[in-house]
Amino acid sequence: MSSASSPADSGGPGPFVVPAGAPLGAGGGGSAPSRLRPDLFASPLGAGRISTVAAIAGALAVWVALLGPLITLFVHISWSTFWSSISAPDALQPLVTSLEAGGITLGVLILAGTPLGYLLARGRLPFPRLVEAGLLASLVLPPLVIGLLLVFMVGPYTPIGEALAHIHLTATNTLAALVIAEVYESAPYYVLGAESAFAAVPVALEEQAALLGDPPRRVLRRITFPIAARGLALALAISWARAMGAFGAVIIIAYHPYGLPLQIWTTFQEANLSVALSFAFLLLVVALPLPLLAYVWSARARRLD
Amino acid sequence: MTQMRRFLSIGIIGLAGLAAATGLAACNSSPSPNGTSAAKSGTANVAYAGSLLYLDEKVIGPAFHTSSGYAFTGRGAGSLALSQEIKSGEITPNVFESIGAKPIEALEPKFTSWYVQFAASPLVVAYNPKSRFAPELAAIASGQKPIADLFTLMETHGFLLGRTDPNLDPQGQAFLEMLLLAQLDYNLPAGTVAKILGGSPLDTASSSQIFDETALEPRLEAGQLDASSAYLSQAVQLHLHYIKLPPAISLGDPKLKAAYGRAKFKLANGMVAMGKPLAVDITTIGHTDAAAADAFVAYVLSAAGLDYFSKNGYELLKPKLTGPRSAVPAGVLSELAG
Repeated sequence: MSSASSPADSGGPGPFVVPAGAPLGAGGGGSAPSRLRPDLFASPLGAGRISTVAAIAGALAVWVALLGPLITLFVHISWSTFWSSISAPDALQPLVTSLEAGGITLGVLILAGTPLGYLLARGRLPFPRLVEAGLLASLVLPPLVIGLLLVFMVGPYTPIGEALAHIHLTATNTLAALVIAEVYESAPYYVLGAESAFAAVPVALEEQAALLGDPPRRVLRRITFPIAARGLALALAISWARAMGAFGAVIIIAYHPYGLPLQIWTTFQEANLSVALSFAFLLLVVALPLPLLAYVWSARARRLD
Repeated sequence: MTQMRRFLSIGIIGLAGLAAATGLAACNSSPSPNGTSAAKSGTANVAYAGSLLYLDEKVIGPAFHTSSGYAFTGRGAGSLALSQEIKSGEITPNVFESIGAKPIEALEPKFTSWYVQFAASPLVVAYNPKSRFAPELAAIASGQKPIADLFTLMETHGFLLGRTDPNLDPQGQAFLEMLLLAQLDYNLPAGTVAKILGGSPLDTASSSQIFDETALEPRLEAGQLDASSAYLSQAVQLHLHYIKLPPAISLGDPKLKAAYGRAKFKLANGMVAMGKPLAVDITTIGHTDAAAADAFVAYVLSAAGLDYFSKNGYELLKPKLTGPRSAVPAGVLSELAG
């Protein structure tokens, strides 16, 4: 990092700032050293200049690679189609369905996944690797396969399906089925994330608090959760994103009611890409703020630490 | 105790790894294909109706490659969707195999001017042999009970029927047309179709009976439905139990085109769906790798190709050319003459 034009120490808004004076220096050759940026003009094609160009090119490459699909979406979306497709009668029902199912899924993950992550991190479960294997298997298997396996597990003629029928629930083409599919697709992200968040909490701190007389619940509230909070929030953010975009398992066990991902799929089959992209944009608008906020909060919390 | 747990965990992971490795080794030991004719340059790039996926990818594609030396690549989707993608230039196949001629006619005259109809893909009702309705379904399948009983049985409260979305999938449309024809031809009480559909309107996509095409057969095989719509070819290839439907309602006989046309209903987008024969039509598209494309169509229409169709649940029809003979490749014409 010897170059003075390195974006990291320039203090400017990032790598896109061309160092002041650079164009002037081009004609001056190596004989006009600037007082402020001496090494920039060391030669007509100074090392500093090359590294600036490389930094800009590198940043652009990363941006294009990461934001490429998003940029494509904005290039190809037709705003008139967007407004007409979301103002059609019942067009927003899939949005409501997605938010309902996503909200319930998040609730299930927080209530069931948080204790599970904690117990895994503290080694309080028998055969923890088996639990982790189950979670990892849900990640390794294509979601479509998870959906097919769920048919065998919770279909109407299975013991679980029949038990559900007693309480007037069915796990086929219902909101409950949609939630089940979303939980299976997103739980690994939350539970494994929560496990590492809790694992990062120093046990010694918890023990000291206990020695000083804090009952276990108070230790959790005052020590464990505040330290794990950032990791938990990020795990929750990622699993929310996964649940909102869940498709593979959903299309198998919950073809109805349509959430946004299935709405995108059927619209693409029935109408065309531009209408389907309208719903893809809608999905981004409603699903992206929550995880983004979690990341903003986490970054701020890290700076304050 | 912790030590023991650790050993157990390592043991389980190790066993799983071992099982996976053994499985891999077993797959690798399958013999490599031999007897391939000299490789030729050129690829038959086939766009085919989704229901032909197994036959094209697993049977005819490899057999064509072995016998002709041309490469085979394929893409399956709904025939209408494929037709639209070809028209818009999204895909550039050189052969198109469609269910029904309409998707091909939509490409005339720019992409092709002829097609050959050579097989039918009738509709059947597949059923779950472990269903509580299985004894009656089996009696109908074997002909001990009349086919009309099938429709009264499907009306039963709690009968779990599976079908596909009529707004998206031709099979979903065909199934409803079949029900409408049955109601007409077997003098079933008005409202039979509505009862079978559990009261939901014909054009709806949101019914507990409607599944994605990918999910329908697995759900039946998993024993989670009593019966479902299927093409005869799917029932044969997947070894499902099924009830063969008479030609009058199976949509499998091109000669009954006019009679099938009596079954009509409105789709959600306002268009009218009308019963038509479920025939397989084939043509070449454009001029890319024309030799390979012509060879593929000729192979499908050869005795060997037709035999594969017959063995996989298609009913063979006398090949019928629509369009000017002058436009048809010589190799295809000679198969038609033979």
